Amino acid sequence: MPAAPDITAHRRLLWLYVMLAVMGVLVVGRLAYLQIFEHQHYQKLASGEQQRKYEVPADRGQIYLLDNGTKVPLALNQTLKILYADPSIISDKAGTAAKLATITGDPASQYLDALTKGKEYAFLKGRVDDATAARITALHLHGIGMVNEDYRTYPEGSLASQVLGFVNDNGDGQYGIEGYLNRELKGSPGQLNARTDTNGVPIATSDNINKAAVPGSDVVLTLDRNIQAEAETDIQSGVQAAKATSGSILVLDPNTGAIKAMANYPSYDPNNYSKVTNYHTFSNQVTSDAFEPGSGFKVITMAAGIDLGKVTPDTTYTDTGCIDVTSTKICNFDNKNDGSNTTMTTVLRDSLNTGVVFVLRMLGTDPNAIKNVGKQALYGYITGHFAFGKLTGIEQAGEESGVVNAPPSNDVNYANMTFGQGLSVTMLQMADAFAAIANGGKLYKPYLVDRQIKPDGTQTITQPLITNPHVISPQTSQQMAAMMQVVVQHGTGYLAYTPGYEIAGKTGTAEIPNPTGLGYLPDANIGTFTGFAPANAPKFVVMVRINRPTIGGDAEKTTVPVFAELTRWLFQYYAIPPSS
Amino acid sequence: MSTATMTMRRNQNLSRSQSEIKLGPASSGFVIVAIIALLALLYLNAITKTSEFGYQVTKLQQQQTQAVAQNQELQVEAARLTSIQQIQNSGAAKALVPTTQVTYAK
Repeated sequence: MPAAPDITAHRRLLWLYVMLAVMGVLVVGRLAYLQIFEHQHYQKLASGEQQRKYEVPADRGQIYLLDNGTKVPLALNQTLKILYADPSIISDKAGTAAKLATITGDPASQYLDALTKGKEYAFLKGRVDDATAARITALHLHGIGMVNEDYRTYPEGSLASQVLGFVNDNGDGQYGIEGYLNRELKGSPGQLNARTDTNGVPIATSDNINKAAVPGSDVVLTLDRNIQAEAETDIQSGVQAAKATSGSILVLDPNTGAIKAMANYPSYDPNNYSKVTNYHTFSNQVTSDAFEPGSGFKVITMAAGIDLGKVTPDTTYTDTGCIDVTSTKICNFDNKNDGSNTTMTTVLRDSLNTGVVFVLRMLGTDPNAIKNVGKQALYGYITGHFAFGKLTGIEQAGEESGVVNAPPSNDVNYANMTFGQGLSVTMLQMADAFAAIANGGKLYKPYLVDRQIKPDGTQTITQPLITNPHVISPQTSQQMAAMMQVVVQHGTGYLAYTPGYEIAGKTGTAEIPNPTGLGYLPDANIGTFTGFAPANAPKFVVMVRINRPTIGGDAEKTTVPVFAELTRWLFQYYAIPPSS
Repeated sequence: MSTATMTMRRNQNLSRSQSEIKLGPASSGFVIVAIIALLALLYLNAITKTSEFGYQVTKLQQQQTQAVAQNQELQVEAARLTSIQQIQNSGAAKALVPTTQVTYAK
């Protein structure tokens, strides 16, 4: 009799199949859930582990100046190292500090101080070059490390520092060209979204997303290195000789508006900008410090009078030494008078305040009173023709426009304005206005950037731009040049007289407004001298400013010697032969 | 010619040669697994090579960065050595005397 099938075993086997099938379904279901429905979530988690995003910094554009037309680097980029420490794992702090000090030359106490104060990170030194880094590495000091850092380097040191500005720790330009053209110089950072190995090192794979950084444009300045260096030497000597607080100097090409030199003293080294304690030192005073120009401004008043045909160089008036304007007495700076038949040429030569107030009256066609129409005419020349009170658009951060009061302002204010008080201008505006007088009446937009060079090599060359072609007539220009030559030959600019050369110029000694109240500061002035040469075919305009000199004498003793020194040097540099 | 003869002739070349190799289910499975393994091996090889090239590219990029940094350093050094301050402080410059009298050829 055949054995009956084992129903229990068969059922168990069936259950096992069912169980395995269910487990299979569960596993497949779970896999489907994880890989299909939760696909994006887990892919994101995995990417987070395997992929990293990096910002690739763009190379900052370099800045150059010219040396007889050849490009010379003024601001470059350099990858150096930061020296740091983890003080928590350094047992012999004094020994470590001493060893580092022997290599870097810094005081050991500086490192010891940082190691004592720091907990897990202590900054020890920046700008460590490769040679020094190699010597430090060879010491195998425990807890000492170095990391690469991009730095801006200025190989010419303090040369043209206020024109240049500097780049701060965030990589942004501050002051000067670095500040004004920060966007163009900085470029655009790139991005790298890359798979990495276990150490986090990017691996080049086909699915990496790489957006290349766009380097910044290079900038070539109009500054001439030799003129800049000479101007800096001269202004430093001038400030020290006058025992003054500070000074500035500017050299401009009157036929294009290109700046050839622009300097201030005291200056600073942009490689060590963090050591500067007086932030005022960062400013380029030539463009950002508006001041009352004083008697140098008489040239503008006189040019307006001659150009409108209200006076000529030979027009005369009676100089009584003082003149009443409403209830205020306005006198010459020395309280002396030149008497009757004083010509307009003499007004500039002897810097007579009463003479330019006379011109203002003549602008209103009344030699005995200031008229509104005269004020309107003067205001039109100051702001409309010579563009005072407006930004020049120079490529410098923080340019000031200065202040010129419109005609509703009272007669005393306008009388003061004729000789450069009661209004404020920048040195750049003054030099540009003198350039227009020098070149026949064309006002150029002053500029510092000769050209910008994009990373692909394309260049944007700055073309000279005439902003007003008829500031004054060519005839007025010639007459003004002749009158200003008399100032140098026989007047307050006599120290600039150079035999054989025709030099035109005008001094200015301005009082300084009291910053805390009305009136002006006693025993404090700003001296200026602005001039051009050769007077009949000008090659350059030079303006010198010296603040708060403490030696005796006005601008003729403080600024004119500096002007003369630079002008004589420029005659040789440009190989300008004497005309007689 | 009869229809039967024609049929014979028409079909006389239709004899099929039977394959000598016969794969059972186990052999077929083995071959499939072998092919898959081979393909996997090729894939792994390709991936490894890609990774290797990736590392080589990374290494070359590092070398390039280093060369650029060296180039920068040399540029800076060259600029420093030819800076106006260096020139002014050089022995040759210090030995120069300022010109006092200049005569221009006419």
